[in-house]
Amino acid sequence: MARRGDTRRLAFLLGPASLFLGVFFIGPLAVMVVYSFLEPGLYGGVEWNFYHWNYGRILGWADGEWEEFDAVYAQIFLRSARLALTNVAITLIICYPAAIWVSGLSARWRTMVVFLITLPFFVSLVVRLFAWVLILRPSGFLNSSLMGLGLISEPIDIIFTETAVLIGMAYILLPFMFLPLYASIEKLDRSLVEASSDLGASPLQTFFRVTLPLTLPGIAAGSVLVFIPSLGNFIVPDILGGAKVLMIGNLVEQQFLSARNWPFGSALSVMIMAVMFVLIVLYLRSMGRQEARQ
Amino acid sequence: MAKSLRTRLRASAKLAATLAVAGALNAVLALGGTSVQAAGKLNIYNWGDYINPEVLTRFTKDTGIEVTLDTYGTNEEMLAKIQAGATGYDIVFPSVHMRDIMQKLGLLHDAKVNTLKGFENIDPISKRSKLDPESSYCLPYAWGAVGVFYNKAEAGEVKTWDDFFALADKGKKITMLDDLRETIGVALIKNGYSVNETDADALKQAEAWLIERKDKISAFSYDIVSLVQSGDIAAAHWYVGATLYTIQEPDKLGFVIPEEGATMYQEDICVLKSAPNKDSAVAFLEFYMQPEIAALNTKQQVNGTANVPARDLLPPELKSNPNTNPPADVVKKLQIFEDLGNDLRKYNRVWTKVRTAQ
Repeated sequence: MARRGDTRRLAFLLGPASLFLGVFFIGPLAVMVVYSFLEPGLYGGVEWNFYHWNYGRILGWADGEWEEFDAVYAQIFLRSARLALTNVAITLIICYPAAIWVSGLSARWRTMVVFLITLPFFVSLVVRLFAWVLILRPSGFLNSSLMGLGLISEPIDIIFTETAVLIGMAYILLPFMFLPLYASIEKLDRSLVEASSDLGASPLQTFFRVTLPLTLPGIAAGSVLVFIPSLGNFIVPDILGGAKVLMIGNLVEQQFLSARNWPFGSALSVMIMAVMFVLIVLYLRSMGRQEARQ
Repeated sequence: MAKSLRTRLRASAKLAATLAVAGALNAVLALGGTSVQAAGKLNIYNWGDYINPEVLTRFTKDTGIEVTLDTYGTNEEMLAKIQAGATGYDIVFPSVHMRDIMQKLGLLHDAKVNTLKGFENIDPISKRSKLDPESSYCLPYAWGAVGVFYNKAEAGEVKTWDDFFALADKGKKITMLDDLRETIGVALIKNGYSVNETDADALKQAEAWLIERKDKISAFSYDIVSLVQSGDIAAAHWYVGATLYTIQEPDKLGFVIPEEGATMYQEDICVLKSAPNKDSAVAFLEFYMQPEIAALNTKQQVNGTANVPARDLLPPELKSNPNTNPPADVVKKLQIFEDLGNDLRKYNRVWTKVRTAQ
């Protein structure tokens, strides 16, 4: 009897969350997976026929008439991954020292800095990116400041380049790197660092053999959190890259809007999610190992 | 495919004004709803900011019919919503190729538009539908060319597409639209093809032509108005809606329909088969065919009207404007997009290649 009561209570407690996940996460995901195996409808939507060419176009087989295998999709994928990885590196290099510095501040200032870092979320992303257009354009703030200081004589070409895309992506994703890094650096036991130097390790040795391994979980969490949105992002390449750099996110957007090919868009999305899934599994497993070691 | 032209045109430049207008419109509509005892209702589904709110208030005042207005950003968005079974809307404003799709899909009501009072005002050239050449289903609403918007100080005079691309050789920045039909369309025109060409070799040629020029094109973008105004971009492939800015600063900004030809867009007003208020819809079509109403709308929208007598009622800067009201020989050089059916996939492939090319 007691057991049945437990089951009922469990069902009552888990019910709402499961229902929510089922309706808003599993449901749409299932629609996407199913659609990715269907034939595109002429005017959007799908025809209910099994159709594997959507994947064939990406992975290497095609019927040669309507669907054409093209290495271009793999290229776009790799390019997006390269940009996303670069972005992880940039945000890490900026945030690691910043997080160390912030963790050394007084409690009041630490709260203040964390608040300031989350502040940009209060403003629409598109508005913030247009502000960057104004900053980076030839007659914009950056170029006129540099020219005013006499550092350059001609405006430098930044807007509508890959550099602009990287600046924009690093800008919007910095908080996602900073917050997990900060959390793990703040937790770091300072006495271990002191012990290391007491025992004669150089600062560099201390960093690589004590600080870095202990903050690895924060680095991993931040990297995953930055990598995933970078890979799928299409607004930054559109606005700051001038849509000249086609990223995987743009390609998906194009399929659903102008190309009216929902199944191919779904297939691309499923591929992205598969990559993410593998990454997250790897991350969780390495975290599990880490915990086992401690 | 004239994607977002209405929304982005103003959304970026006049967001605040739009919000104010929308607010005022809602207030006025609410008033109209209470003061005039409902003679009927009309539910409009239109592009964002693509009708002068004054036209709607006048309509309610004249007929007592209450109006509600919902908006969309692309033809595809509207189609998807109607296909998904959105009911309650009476009239929609699809582009010509999209109205053909909707007619094919059986979504439109045959309102016998060409028998309504006022149809004699409509320019016969604006009956552009393939499926409905006599305009029985839909009323031609507004149209415009897609040409080159430029900063005179940076670009000098631009007359042709060659002038436009030559600017890049002089180190100036030029941009094209982030729209596959529009930008591939320019390549097709320059290579002597129709903008609805589906021949694989012709499309290959257009693809090669664009890729050859990709280095010269700084960006594919809609959001360039402020950059052309500041001179950061010398010239941009853009909509005739730019006239809104060229009228304000005629010494600084210009717009041209290139001599080699260009594309154009046109939207029609169509009554939906599922429309709950078909009588109100027909009343609106007749109302809109009055020249002074069409002129009232065109004056605010700064584009072309299909209503011939309305053109004489426009303010001089629009009436004599060779871009919004081009002479017949220029109109002949404008091509409109047709629905390509499955061949759209070929364009999509070309576009992906062009955008990935290094």
